[in-house]
Amino acid sequence: MKNLPGKLLLLSVVSVIAVTAQAAQYETDKEAFENHFKGRFPDVVREEFANGVYAIDPIGRESWEAIEEFPPYELFVDDGKEMWDAPFANGKTYKDCFPDGPGIAHKYPHWDKEQGMVMTLPLALNQCRESQGEKPLKYKKGSINNILSYIAFESRGQVTDVVIPEDDPRALEAYENGKKFYYTKRGQLNFSCANCHVQNAGMKIRSDMLSTALGQTTHFPVYRSKWGTVGTLHRRFTGCNSQARAKPFKAQGEEYRNLEYFLTYMSNGLTLNGPGARK
Amino acid sequence: MNMKKLTAMLCLGAIVAIAGQSVIAAEKKAAPKAETANKVAAEPAAKSSENSGDKAAAESAIAAAESARKKAASIDGEWRDTGKMIKKAQAALKAGDSAKAIKLAKKAENQAKLGYEQAQAQQELKMPSYLKY
Ligand code: HEC
Repeated sequence: MKNLPGKLLLLSVVSVIAVTAQAAQYETDKEAFENHFKGRFPDVVREEFANGVYAIDPIGRESWEAIEEFPPYELFVDDGKEMWDAPFANGKTYKDCFPDGPGIAHKYPHWDKEQGMVMTLPLALNQCRESQGEKPLKYKKGSINNILSYIAFESRGQVTDVVIPEDDPRALEAYENGKKFYYTKRGQLNFSCANCHVQNAGMKIRSDMLSTALGQTTHFPVYRSKWGTVGTLHRRFTGCNSQARAKPFKAQGEEYRNLEYFLTYMSNGLTLNGPGARK
Repeated sequence: MNMKKLTAMLCLGAIVAIAGQSVIAAEKKAAPKAETANKVAAEPAAKSSENSGDKAAAESAIAAAESARKKAASIDGEWRDTGKMIKKAQAALKAGDSAKAIKLAKKAENQAKLGYEQAQAQQELKMPSYLKY
């Protein structure tokens, strides 16, 4: 009994550790994730993963480097700058909504406590437009890609830094939902995202080599030769869901926003290098 | 070779490739049509006699498929082509081809059920074993 205060102290230390450990589940997730790719591609330095499949496909990399000499997204960046500078009908501009802009891509996605949801850059842009009396832009194709290209270009060199705030359990829930989405098998082909981009990264599917999930979010929007234009991350999600013959979800709907939250968190620490160019 | 020539050749190559593909696609599309046309022509009399029963059966098959699709969608388990099959079934019904409508609706219903089961089986997230914690 003499030792009671000491025991109590020990107990409280243990419970503090337990609470901390529980809160950091997402950190454990990230560690397992990174270790997986480190094990699979021991010769690839971490920062290289930001180059997507070209970090692990030396042949594809040759043509990619040639393409990057005359970047196919350049015109979209220029058009995006015009959009950024052009006043809305009320005389204001995007800058009125985003005073730190245009290099703000690293601030997204983030947990928006007020609205109780994951806020992505495309959604924030449209909320800005609507608050200024403008029509929202479409989320997969079209001119949203111009302004996203410009913002991505101006954000180059910033670092992916998704925060899962501890003061709002809904943020952790959104992360967990995104994670669940990522590992859930879907569609007629019964594939999860992870089956292709974690388990089989580096393998070939038809003529494409599968990229690692690590680094997949650093360079959006992306100019895809197959699309012949620049497209958003959620357009890519749509394509990947369809590929496994699952019905895609709505761009900027809750499922894809949570997915983006999880997937981008997994790339924390990688430098932004958008817009990108891909096959 | 200079850059301009190379670009021109690449473009030409791409155009030829695209043109070639669309010819193949057109051929693929044309083929099944001819087949259905033959079938319809071969058995027109048998169909009309049992038409009304077929029609009701097709309608209920479509309704069953649609409700199975919704059930799958309610837990995010809908597959890509299920809704399209139901639309095609509806179009077939409208065109008076109840047999085709039933076949498509059954296929859609089956997909929807599988999609539901697939999603149901994964309600609990289990982290895959290839990730080492
Ligand atoms: C059947 C395999 C398959 C599945 C399942 C799949 N993808 Fe993909 N994905 C691909 C292929 C192939 C590409 C193009 C090559 C590459 O970059 O990996 C790709 C590309 C991507 C890219 C673009 C990478 C880049 O560098 O631009 C992202 C992002 C992506 N997938 C995310 C996902 C997500 C999220 C899911 C789950 C909803 C998913 N994928 C499911 C095959 C798949």
